[in-house]
Amino acid sequence: MRKWTPYLLLIPTFIIIVIFIYVPAEYSIKASMQRILPFGRGTSYIGLTNFLKLFSNADYLYSVRFTILYVTVTVSIAIILSFLIALLLVKKIPGVKLFRTLIFVPYAISPAIAGALWTFLLNPIVGHVSYFFQVLFGIQVEWMTSKPYAFYAVVFASVWKTLPFNMIFYIASIQDVPEEILESATIEGANVMNRTWRIIFPMVSPITFYLVIMNIVTMMFSSFAIIDVMTKGGPGQYTTNMIYRLYLDAFYFQKPGVASAQSVILIAIMIVVTSIYFKFGERYVHY
Amino acid sequence: MKKIIFITFLIIVFLASSVTLAAEKTKVQFWHAMGGWRIELLQEMVNNFMALNPDIEVEVQYTGSYGDTINKLNVAVQSKVAPHVVQGYDIATQMLIDGEVGLVMQDLIDADPTFDIGAFMPQVLNYYRVNGKLYCMPFNSSNAIMFYNKTLFEKAGLDPNKPPKTYEELLEYAKKLTTKDDKGNVVQAAVCWSLNCWFFEQFMATQNAPLVDNDNGRTGRPTKAIFNSDAGLKVFTFWNDLTKNGDMINTKLEDWTAARNLFISQKVAMLITSTSDVALMVKSAQENNFELGSAFLPTPADAEAGGVVIGGGSLWIIGGHPKNETDAAWKFVKYMTEAPQQIKWHTGTGYFPVRKDAIEGLLAQGYYSGSPHDLTAILQLLLSTQNYNTNGAIIGAFAEMRSIVASNIEKMLSGSMTPAEALAAAEKAATEAIRNYEGL
Repeated sequence: MRKWTPYLLLIPTFIIIVIFIYVPAEYSIKASMQRILPFGRGTSYIGLTNFLKLFSNADYLYSVRFTILYVTVTVSIAIILSFLIALLLVKKIPGVKLFRTLIFVPYAISPAIAGALWTFLLNPIVGHVSYFFQVLFGIQVEWMTSKPYAFYAVVFASVWKTLPFNMIFYIASIQDVPEEILESATIEGANVMNRTWRIIFPMVSPITFYLVIMNIVTMMFSSFAIIDVMTKGGPGQYTTNMIYRLYLDAFYFQKPGVASAQSVILIAIMIVVTSIYFKFGERYVHY
Repeated sequence: MKKIIFITFLIIVFLASSVTLAAEKTKVQFWHAMGGWRIELLQEMVNNFMALNPDIEVEVQYTGSYGDTINKLNVAVQSKVAPHVVQGYDIATQMLIDGEVGLVMQDLIDADPTFDIGAFMPQVLNYYRVNGKLYCMPFNSSNAIMFYNKTLFEKAGLDPNKPPKTYEELLEYAKKLTTKDDKGNVVQAAVCWSLNCWFFEQFMATQNAPLVDNDNGRTGRPTKAIFNSDAGLKVFTFWNDLTKNGDMINTKLEDWTAARNLFISQKVAMLITSTSDVALMVKSAQENNFELGSAFLPTPADAEAGGVVIGGGSLWIIGGHPKNETDAAWKFVKYMTEAPQQIKWHTGTGYFPVRKDAIEGLLAQGYYSGSPHDLTAILQLLLSTQNYNTNGAIIGAFAEMRSIVASNIEKMLSGSMTPAEALAAAEKAATEAIRNYEGL
């Protein structure tokens, strides 16, 4: 009986994973090799044609390049910035708990609302951010509709949205760094920079490792709402990333076959990213 | 004790009556894509219908934008929970026909001797008739119109009763209407319309130019896009020139609200938008203390005479439901297109009545002398040449083509392509999308 208990306990999770992940994944793989007529009027097997078409499609290749750039930039900024802010938020100063609560707010907001919020703030005519830009630098920036500002706008909103999530984890793990180690380092003459980057940062590396993966997933998949609300992938597909491209093909142009092929590619990329990271992580992360 | 028995009795009576009521009523689900104040207006019309037909219950659901509604229909049809009546948008017509999800409206019309299709506006019927058959019931029709701020015209020293008629005139007017501060930032722009392929389509039709081959897809299925023409280049160049001069403020993709707000807040002097905004614009102009003017769409001075294309939506009756429900759905669709309802809809929104008798009735009441902008909208449609170019293109991959054209326009406006390059690129990609859809 004891042998079976763990399996028994796993069954509920397993059922959920099968229904919501494996079954749709299998459907995607099947659909990726089909040409599907509108409203499911008919399907025909076409092998790898959908994939071959995607790889010869300049727009799709652009969205892949843009995704790499977007994910690299947003994840790097989100990780570094959240670590630095977390360092400040563990200081024992009055009102720090209030700050923590306030800073956590963006995480509680849905991505679509975040997008809408930034759309207002960055509106070239009535937006507050635009107003400050005009007062400070005397320029009128069309944030959502011109290059490269549309990219900056999307990056701002995405980073702003993920920052609190990372900070909560960093605050918790920085507080776990043993006081004695830091004290003895100070006595040995280590300055702030050394204590931060040689002691604290390595000690929280398991959290960094976890956060990088989580952030990559968020930026690859959940960035959809922010982009849809803020730029609609524009101007001229400039901010169209892979997930937004997939949405357009699946739900806007009614091409489920091509869209499924894209989701299969996304699955493959995520498998590669996570496996590389796990191998790399095991070597360098200190538990 | 007596009390308890009495209450139990009441409950039983209540339950029994509600059960019998529910059993008697035929339920019809109606999905539509009309946001804002139009949700209430539609609900009111539906309530009136239910008051007249106590045996039918219409469940109205606002299902998001036109695109979202088609999406939901797509999923609902495949999981066999489709609604009875759906509002489909103009450009989904071919895709809905190909999907064979709707009953052919023509068959229902032919089977019902009480229904007179002759009362409908030929301009509207011409759009929705494909291969000589009406697949859906015209309901809310609109096209593009130009509004202008007479007060700002006067301030700029322009005659408020002389809106620009040609691209050339508009560019001239823009020199006076656009104002910049000492740093070169635009304080007031001349014109604005939302970044949308729909305006390109309208501008092409007003020059009597087609979008795709086989007579805009009306005499055969389209095989390629043919809008890389002289007319197409004129539209792209006009749009590009206005933007480069700072005479036009562009919105992000399909942001109708932003364009409207720029005009309402008097940041721009002219707005090209849908005629369905007439009621909203009249109200907004009053609230913001400026005098509203309306005009036909401008065309290049040497353009061929064309006209505006019908846009908006129509009602589809989805197949696969029991006969009594389909009959109820037909009754409902018929009701919605009757003259009194069309008048209510027209005056409440700005969409045209799709029937001639509705317009006649309003004219007789003197409605148009009090609503000159509704008259501008209708006259523009009535004075349009009727041919394949102005009847609108029928393309299966229309949604994709729209996205392609719009994104190439954005590339042109951001300066990474010349108008000629952007137009050529858009045509090439649109042809590819059409060929993919047609399986060529």
